[in-house]
Amino acid sequence: MSNVVVLDNGGGFIKAGQGGERNPAVVIPNCLYRPLTSKKFLHPTTTFSSSPDDLTSAAIRRPIDRGYLINPDLQRDIWSHLFTSLLHVTPSSSSLLLTEPLFSLPSIQRSTDELVFEDFGFSSLVVADSPSLVHLYETSCRPCGLVSEAQCSLVVDCGFSFTQAAPVFQNITLNYGVKRIDLGGKALTNYLKELVSYRAINVMDETLLMDDVKEKLCFVSLDVERDLQFARKHGKDNLFRCTYVLPDGVTHTKGYVKDPEAAKRHLALTDGASSSEAIETKNETDQLGVMDKTAERKRVDLTKNEFDLTNERFLVPEMIFQPADLGMNEAGLAECIVRAVNACHPYLHPVLYQSIILTGGSTLFPRFVERLEKDLRPLVPDDYQVNITTQEDPILGVWRGGSLLASSPDYELMRVTKAEYEELGSARCRRRFFR
Amino acid sequence: MDDDNSNALRRMSTRTRKVAPKMAAALGSSDNRSQAALARLEALENDNAGIEAVEMNDDDEASLDEDDQAYMQKRSKGTKRKTRQAKALENARKAPRSFLELLHEANLESLPPHVPSYLRAAVGPPSSTSRRHFCSVCGFSAKYTCVTCGMRFCSCRCQNIHNDTRCMKFVA
Repeated sequence: MSNVVVLDNGGGFIKAGQGGERNPAVVIPNCLYRPLTSKKFLHPTTTFSSSPDDLTSAAIRRPIDRGYLINPDLQRDIWSHLFTSLLHVTPSSSSLLLTEPLFSLPSIQRSTDELVFEDFGFSSLVVADSPSLVHLYETSCRPCGLVSEAQCSLVVDCGFSFTQAAPVFQNITLNYGVKRIDLGGKALTNYLKELVSYRAINVMDETLLMDDVKEKLCFVSLDVERDLQFARKHGKDNLFRCTYVLPDGVTHTKGYVKDPEAAKRHLALTDGASSSEAIETKNETDQLGVMDKTAERKRVDLTKNEFDLTNERFLVPEMIFQPADLGMNEAGLAECIVRAVNACHPYLHPVLYQSIILTGGSTLFPRFVERLEKDLRPLVPDDYQVNITTQEDPILGVWRGGSLLASSPDYELMRVTKAEYEELGSARCRRRFFR
Repeated sequence: MDDDNSNALRRMSTRTRKVAPKMAAALGSSDNRSQAALARLEALENDNAGIEAVEMNDDDEASLDEDDQAYMQKRSKGTKRKTRQAKALENARKAPRSFLELLHEANLESLPPHVPSYLRAAVGPPSSTSRRHFCSVCGFSAKYTCVTCGMRFCSCRCQNIHNDTRCMKFVA
């Protein structure tokens, strides 16, 4: 069997390609969308940020809720488009490596198996969980690093649907140690949407637009109290104020950040000293910008198709670190990691703290790692080192691990063939994947 | 979003509040507050909820209308009702169920306590009970709580905005 399709079926994006390659051939949003100009739901062919269409007020249907596949019909639709028009594979002559979240419910597993074997007729299937694939990829990247020598790591996955910390030992996820926070990229986008809709313009229908705003403007604050003080300032002193221009549908169909340079000003704020410098330089530019300002004001009044963000920019990602602020009765990410480690054998604790791997799209917020380190250090015993590794491309990390697994000799042993499925049924085949 | 009923020892104001009887009934046991908070959290997991709901309704009505016309021409009332019911049942069966429904169906509570499951993988409540409060209007840290709905605000200005736009708007 040469042909293995590796499919990382995430709640946000589908990452799919041939096993053994470095990058997935196709990355598309895992949804159908319907722009205002269309009556039917359409298949996305690229990521939304790179597609040229007008996506204003597009409606979206997703087959995945909270990370789990709840709408197999919709997923079948999306997959068949993916396999026939994008990947060009024939399922009956290829094998499928599919990622599935941990603790999937039996009913969901059954419908997934039906989808793979009965609707598409794949010749064989391997179901893998994402933490072990990330671990596999990291061990192969750094053959002499600690992760591969100790054969154990703690994979922190901040994905689209949820955030979880999972200890992995010898390529097997220790499922008793997995801890999950029910907050992911989707919740953050929706939260930002709610805030902007209440404070500025109603954007409740503009999920795709707000996704873009979140990716471009949100960042993680290292000191929330201090940053709130800065965000209170007026005019040019305010390093966080940033204007996002909504698409007008005539000259541009994509929203954009009005002043991308200004949006990066917060990065100058590392500690007290540099921040005052930054403000001084701002004062200098202030006088130059007076003319600009009046012009800008006029434009604001005329068009009204833009909004300002200040403290929302860091209060939104802040929710991952302290969900309690939102009224959720859940611990933050740092505590989540500590609990995941504490659920494992004490011998593993020092190694796990030293080999934390961050993956998932929500870790792409600037300063995410620094903040996590800052929150985590006080909670970890003094004599343990804390070492957080980031992946070079956190969205594709899982897929790359899957690609490695598909080309390894173990793959042949792990797979369940269609004949076996027909003979034994879903539940017994699943035991091969330790589920 | 803000519910302060978690702390039983919280000192309450002894001032008697003038609340319209209807509103008092709505607030009852502050149950509405927690319900609203839960509804807000649920809403964070929605896709484009408003649009989707409307679209579903449209579909249903369209199909019913067609049926109506067909039945008007041919059949008697008795069979019409039956098929409608059957249709509704069929629709309910076909409609994708939410993850929470599936979760409930899987009955994970019945598993022995040492088996890891979706429910036991949840991280659990935070160790410290203190939480920061942010103004629901402007986002800065909020000192005050709205006496009617329990949301937070930071200043008189924000209170006025809150009262005008958001306060108790969710009960209706």
